[in-house]
Amino acid sequence: MSGPWILGLADPAAGDVDAVGGKGAGLHRLVALGARVPAGFVVTTDAFRAALTDTGDVEAPLRALSPDAPIDQVERAASEARARLLRAATAGPVLDAVRAAYDGLAGGIARVAVRSSAVGEDAAGASFAGEHDTFLELRGRDAVADAVCRCWASLYTARAVSYREHAGRRSDQGSTPIGELDHGAGAGSAGAMAVVVQEMVPARAAGVFMTLNPANGDRSTVVCEAVWGLGEPLVSGTVTPDRFVIDKISGEVVRREVARKERCLVRDPEHPGTHETDVPAERREQPCLDDAELAEILELARRVERDAGVPQDGEFAVAEPGGPVRVHLLQTRPETVWSTRAPRAATSGAQSALSAVLATLTRGAAATSPTPEGTPDHAG
Amino acid sequence: MPADRFPSPFEIETPPGAEGWESMYDWYHLFGPERRELDEGRFWFADRLHHPDVLHPYDEIQCECWWQALGAFNTRIFAMPPAFGVDQRIVNGRLYVTPVAAPAEHIGARAEEFGRRAGHYYERWDAIYAEWKDKVTAKLDEIRSLRFEPLPDLEPESTVFDHVGHSAGFRMIRDFDRLVLTMYETYQYHFELLNIGYAAYLTFFGLCRQAFPDISDQSISRMVGGLRVELYRPDDELKRLAKEAQRLGLVERLSGTEDAATLFAGLRADAAGAEWVADWERTADPWFLINTDPGHPGGYHTYPTWADQPDIPLTSVREYLRRLEDGESIDRPTDEVLAERDRITAGYRELLSDADRATFDETVALARQVFAFIEEHVLYIEHWMWATFWAKSHELSRALAAMGEIDEPEDMFFLRRYEVAEAIYDCVAAWSVGSRPRGAEHLRPTIARRREIYTALRAWEPPPALGPPPTQIDEPFTVMLWGITTSTVSEWLRADGDEGVLRGTAGSPGIVEGPVRVVTHPNELTEVQPGDVLVCPATSPSWAPVFARIAATVSDVGGIMSHTAIVCREYGMPAVVGTGNAVSTLRTGQQVRVDGNTGVVTVL
Repeated sequence: MSGPWILGLADPAAGDVDAVGGKGAGLHRLVALGARVPAGFVVTTDAFRAALTDTGDVEAPLRALSPDAPIDQVERAASEARARLLRAATAGPVLDAVRAAYDGLAGGIARVAVRSSAVGEDAAGASFAGEHDTFLELRGRDAVADAVCRCWASLYTARAVSYREHAGRRSDQGSTPIGELDHGAGAGSAGAMAVVVQEMVPARAAGVFMTLNPANGDRSTVVCEAVWGLGEPLVSGTVTPDRFVIDKISGEVVRREVARKERCLVRDPEHPGTHETDVPAERREQPCLDDAELAEILELARRVERDAGVPQDGEFAVAEPGGPVRVHLLQTRPETVWSTRAPRAATSGAQSALSAVLATLTRGAAATSPTPEGTPDHAG
Repeated sequence: MPADRFPSPFEIETPPGAEGWESMYDWYHLFGPERRELDEGRFWFADRLHHPDVLHPYDEIQCECWWQALGAFNTRIFAMPPAFGVDQRIVNGRLYVTPVAAPAEHIGARAEEFGRRAGHYYERWDAIYAEWKDKVTAKLDEIRSLRFEPLPDLEPESTVFDHVGHSAGFRMIRDFDRLVLTMYETYQYHFELLNIGYAAYLTFFGLCRQAFPDISDQSISRMVGGLRVELYRPDDELKRLAKEAQRLGLVERLSGTEDAATLFAGLRADAAGAEWVADWERTADPWFLINTDPGHPGGYHTYPTWADQPDIPLTSVREYLRRLEDGESIDRPTDEVLAERDRITAGYRELLSDADRATFDETVALARQVFAFIEEHVLYIEHWMWATFWAKSHELSRALAAMGEIDEPEDMFFLRRYEVAEAIYDCVAAWSVGSRPRGAEHLRPTIARRREIYTALRAWEPPPALGPPPTQIDEPFTVMLWGITTSTVSEWLRADGDEGVLRGTAGSPGIVEGPVRVVTHPNELTEVQPGDVLVCPATSPSWAPVFARIAATVSDVGGIMSHTAIVCREYGMPAVVGTGNAVSTLRTGQQVRVDGNTGVVTVL
């Protein structure tokens, strides 16, 4: 059975994770929730499979590897698989469909981001963070088609191959041999790849949020990190962001750590693509989000978490001021570390008020006293 | 290099001109050679929260009664497991204290006793608290019923025809004792509920912190506060008076800037004005028996109440009137506060594990019960009781001055309470016999000298602490009430580190810059300009009007539960509390940055 190659984010069929991958399904869910999500479409796993059938046996070099092959051999085999894919795919009918879909965005002149959306990615327990490529600020139908093709190829980077193998072991699913990718549509088709194409938000600031504090597992907070410009340097960990801890219940910003932000990544005004630039001096030590924006992020984060039923993390971009609403969600997914654990235990089980008082008075008081200097936070 | 210890109390020098200061205080309140070995090994900190200024000899009584009462309730009555009392010493007119820990090996046995004893109170809290209010109110009535007047030439006829059987002189001796003892007894009641109440609140606090490490103190107190407590009543009365002024058509006449005396005299000239002034006067007792000390209300005889100085509440009424005229609502949104309390309680509760939820329900219920007392007792004890006690002390001092026992009323406060009893006896004996007291001539040189000493002592900058610092401060009451933590103490030790930087406790979040306004007395509040950074020893509820105008607050004393921190969080403005020495370091007009997130004040 084969489905459509291209699906709009709002299309009901875009809720099918096997068709649109983890990221695509997440975006569909956000659209359905009423969150502001940049316009875009998904190139489905069926499109990937269709493209792959035109390319001959791309994976032969990987299958030839022995399970304990050294990393340089994996690297060589992966590189060969990528080359086969890129050589074969660009001219096919699938990419023509991608070009046509791009033409439908802002009359074919939109600046877009192209991101991979693998099946099995973005599930609770495995984030695949940064393991597949992302292309920003692209313009033009051929550039987009080319980027989609590169996303497909990124399935075969040595990095992704070994990460998937590690995740396979960790989740105790047994013995997926290195490089053996299952393109089937069923569960566990770790290798099926969809690609998301979305308009870029001209971001004044961007960042990530988590619906708990990753440093201590506190589920009553939303922790938000942000930088000026595009969020990519933050996600890749190359800059120190501003950090805000917001109380989910009271809405209070309980902590603000404003970093000195020297450089930022912005849209290149002349050409497609991005470039790094100095942050204007007067903005360097200013927080890059204001209280109204933080309140909006909190509201979105709470909505997303409630809908998903488990702690989430997500990426957002804040458009230049102009409208009443400024925060756009770029993606969300289950938080991977704490969400699999039970909430923190604060007591040793159900107690009467009096036994709780006695426990407080007889253990070291330091643990229970108010801490005026705030809880030390080593999250960096 | 930061020092590794504070000066020994035995190394502290007497400031020039203050020689002989020891005679102003009771011998048992001083460091002395007999206890040197014990006292030199202890860590003492200056109790600037309750006693930010030099103690008058008479006012020593204020320290004395909590020294004893807090100690007895913790140590002997409830057997608070980890904590005995808080020991006190006076050095150069300043109070230093040290919490006494219970020996570790006693904690288990004490916990058992505490469970039975405090448990009895927790189970019956609301009923016991209702009894408590009656007990305290009865004691207040007793104090108010005392009359100190110059003794009459001839006893009134009623002494004879009612067969009273004793004299006005005897009654003066007796009533001074009553005044002191009734105050003492009322202060016992203060601690009857206070520390077991704090223990219950701390327990809830600890549970929240354990479950939600990032939760703010404000969120925790919002889950237990917001009740319709009487503490808000004085402010509600001011709002009511503002509305009454509006209803009576007095807006125009109240909008001026003349002082209360002039204004009230003018208002009395017509019916509407007279009605409003009469309303004010009825309201003043008891609702304006509000002490205006910076910091702990009622700590000194020197600060007026709202009733004594109606310009202070009048400023608030004018502010409320202005807001009413601007169409604002000035009512405290009690129902919304309560709804919000329930909303956030349910919100946090939902995030807990099932096992924690049961304990949470138990502890939040108890914490809410005790919190009403924690908030309200301030009105009953710190305001009403102390205002009444000081008012009666002033009444006595006026009687003694009128009889020539002292030259002027204020002289009495330079005598210790035992010396006041002696002076009363001297005066009464001479009156009874129809002879001459030794009185003023005998006391005059002592009082004159003590006035000099007092002035010299005020110029002394007390070190924040004395003796070897503990490696860790974990006594819960020290941390919660005084805001003193292990890190505060290390800051004190490296106090001379950064020029132009003061560190304290982050009391309320936010960062602002603005000009400093140092305020050490409520009289100076009128000078505060919009946007000023208020720098003060501490604030009190009677300072409410000023919070609408300022940009941030920096205080010398207080922790996260101090009045300053609570009010600033409510007003959403930054506060750095417990800096130790902002008042003596900063000057009015200096530009500073107040960082309420980190607790740092920087001179710009």
